[in-house]
Amino acid sequence: MTAHAGAVAHAAHDDRPFIRKYVFSTDHKVIGIQFLFLSLFFLLVGGLLAMGIRWQLGFPGQPMPLGGWLPSSVAPGGVVAPKTYNSLVTMHGTFMIFFAVMPLLVGVFANYLIPLKIGAPDMAFPRLNMWSFWLMIPSGGLMLASLLVLGGSSAAGWTVYAPLSAMPDYSGVHLGQQLWCVSIVIFGLSSLLGSVNYITTVVNLRAPGMTWFRLPLSVWALFITAVLAILAVPILAGAVIMLLFDQTIGTHFFAPDAGGQPLMWQHLFWFFGHPEVYILILPAMGIASDIIANGARKPIFGYHSMVYAMIGIAFLGFIVWGHHMFQSGMNPTLASSFMVSTIVIAVPSAIKVFNWLGTLWRGSIHFTTPMLNALAFVSMFIIGGLSGIFMASTPVDMYIHGTYFIVAHIHYVLFGGSLFAVFAGIYFWYPKMFGRQMSERWGKVHFVLTFVFYNLTFFPMHILGVGGEMRRIYDPTVYDFLRPLQPINVFITVNAFLLGLSQLVFAVNFIGSLFKGEKAERNPWHDTGLEWTAPSPPPHGNFPETPTVYHGPYEFSVPGMAEDFVPVNTPPAAGGAGAAGAAGGRHG
Amino acid sequence: MTAHAPAVGHDAPPQGGVGVYTQKVGMWVFLVSEVMFFTALIGSYIILRWGTGAPWPEPRTVLAIPITALNTFILICSSVSMVKAYAAATKDDQAGLKKWLLLTVLGGATFVSVQAYEYHHLIEKGFLPSSGLFGSAFYTMTGFHGFHVTCGVISMIWVTIRAFRGKYAGGNYRGVETIGLYWHFVDLVWIILFTIVYLI
Amino acid sequence: MEATEHRAPNYVAIWGMLAILTVVEVAIVYFRLPRRLMVLSLVFLALWKALLVALYFMHLKFEPRRLLYIVLAPLPLAVILVFAVIHGFRGP
Repeated sequence: MTAHAGAVAHAAHDDRPFIRKYVFSTDHKVIGIQFLFLSLFFLLVGGLLAMGIRWQLGFPGQPMPLGGWLPSSVAPGGVVAPKTYNSLVTMHGTFMIFFAVMPLLVGVFANYLIPLKIGAPDMAFPRLNMWSFWLMIPSGGLMLASLLVLGGSSAAGWTVYAPLSAMPDYSGVHLGQQLWCVSIVIFGLSSLLGSVNYITTVVNLRAPGMTWFRLPLSVWALFITAVLAILAVPILAGAVIMLLFDQTIGTHFFAPDAGGQPLMWQHLFWFFGHPEVYILILPAMGIASDIIANGARKPIFGYHSMVYAMIGIAFLGFIVWGHHMFQSGMNPTLASSFMVSTIVIAVPSAIKVFNWLGTLWRGSIHFTTPMLNALAFVSMFIIGGLSGIFMASTPVDMYIHGTYFIVAHIHYVLFGGSLFAVFAGIYFWYPKMFGRQMSERWGKVHFVLTFVFYNLTFFPMHILGVGGEMRRIYDPTVYDFLRPLQPINVFITVNAFLLGLSQLVFAVNFIGSLFKGEKAERNPWHDTGLEWTAPSPPPHGNFPETPTVYHGPYEFSVPGMAEDFVPVNTPPAAGGAGAAGAAGGRHG
Repeated sequence: MTAHAPAVGHDAPPQGGVGVYTQKVGMWVFLVSEVMFFTALIGSYIILRWGTGAPWPEPRTVLAIPITALNTFILICSSVSMVKAYAAATKDDQAGLKKWLLLTVLGGATFVSVQAYEYHHLIEKGFLPSSGLFGSAFYTMTGFHGFHVTCGVISMIWVTIRAFRGKYAGGNYRGVETIGLYWHFVDLVWIILFTIVYLI
Repeated sequence: MEATEHRAPNYVAIWGMLAILTVVEVAIVYFRLPRRLMVLSLVFLALWKALLVALYFMHLKFEPRRLLYIVLAPLPLAVILVFAVIHGFRGP
């Protein structure tokens, strides 16, 4: 029952009914695009929740614009209530991490790119893939519903620490937290089904000649990410189920009164949570690598060390989780071991940064929109990574844990890192997905606005954090020592609103180009990947016949070739190197 | 680093990688995730019982060891019948395949029924999920294991129906082997659970 | 596509082994051994049974090495999680 034979036959004709073609589709490209629309919607939801947070922090106690529309239990007189504020921070994190960034990086790009880039007609298990997407609907639906139930949504932070999350008496939240738990379990199942597919596809469905060390770094990154998910997500599922049982059927896993251990929640959660953050950054690194090599017209510097660095990050990522718990009162010896492993994990990340810089050095850099976003990824990731070094050191973390310094770090790596890479990837692969180009001019406008307002929003948070402003705080002005910092909060809020508004440019460009965008040619970025040898968009089944791969993934500016890039399936010219490569090199 | 010397397939078979067919790779990867899931549950049990010094009853004073031992034996038997079904499929012995699959379904269904009966008995005795840490952990671990067995029984019924329709004829054994892996895994988890939860 | 043509193991013999090991396990519980010895023996017996199922029923003994590595991957993580957390609770 190989996907190969059946799907290759289908590449020629496609007479599936509309609902099988575009709704309940097993085609990885359709599924990838479905994930794209779903996760962009949730990015909007998460962003709106952030606006609510910033309003309260910038103008504490002031009625929110449109706040009068909210019920008085949530926002009396339009002013965000304290419990509502806790919900805002919780759900902002939850939606952004689980329903925006993960599906954007993994659901979109793993699904869309992997079969195309390895020369396969589809994923190993297309029907399972379809389930992986459609499970996101009840999961997301339940999470949205939790915002509307009596008692409000979960309000214990996206990390839902016990016992606050386990005991409705403490948080005042009943159904909302339970819905959160059920939603996350369904999400976990979706994630696992997807990961089984990505791993099996990369392992078994590579085209002839596509050896492991000819895989593009985006595929390597997505593969390693899937391995992380397989190993980490089930731990979250188990922990969340235990939490749900504590809330509903009276178990005592995390309830101290019967001998339960709240600290065990933290260990279980972060044992998942740390690999999770590498799930959130590795695909971004892979996408950035592909785009930087393309934009600099140079092979990636140190391809092998890039692969080993990602493997190193993934492996080490499993033994650093305690650095999220330095203030929990854990055994100091254990804390020290986590400190060492956390400092060590900076090394492979740094190797990758140096390799990106090495790729750019003496490159012929084309500042296209995807390239700009990829360069922003590298530079913002450096800042986010550097703040991480401070936090890795236990004595330093004693002071900055739970402050805005952490919030700054999170947003530098997740927005500055992951989200800029997402934008880069969308701008880059949009022509392949939709057969149309996005506007380069408005893409650059979006980039500049986003980059400026993003830095003005999040950089000052480092200062707030070192100044002692706590995370998740409702009203900083109740503390004398924080009042002098309040102008910074106002400054951040204003820039956050402008950052949000700037995304309208992207939205209009994205949606408008679907209908009015210039028709895209097959390989507008002159890239070497296999996906660019197929039409834009590729047909069901991807390739008329299985391609054969002869080259590595980043053969740019190869001396003696007619073009400055060599697609990976270019057959060797008779007579070896130096030939014009006319027959294979040209893809008109 | 990039290969200027072209290499067509000498180190890249068309379906390279592990050297195992795709369905089997997929099932093993899924089972790896299941190992981690049960690690969360069983690991928590170990941590709560031996890491925290909390008071803990002797399992044999609460649980019925003899009947559960028998149930363990029944599940092991169903694992044997499963592997016999696989062996029959590889030899295209359709009659054998059908017989052994039916026995596997029977074994699995019996296991779940006995577990359900045990739960009923324990609840009547007053041992509930809210009965301390032991109750919490016992019902969660065995409950999820039972859930996995139930899913296995349902899948096994589906596979058996397919076998009766001749879908595994002509040496086409892969579907049988794949479900078999899941079934053996569920048995393996029980072997560990029985020892840790009931005996130690 | 099968990795190796191997002679099928004697499934009935494995079954017999598993049955005997189960009986021994239950017997150990009723023999009232010293606690530590009992725990160690039970863990050993359980692992032995698990290995029999994994290697023979799940055919891992006859699969390509790489598959075995995939399967072994979660085990060190499980051990690290449990031991680190217990150590965390036990104090310095």
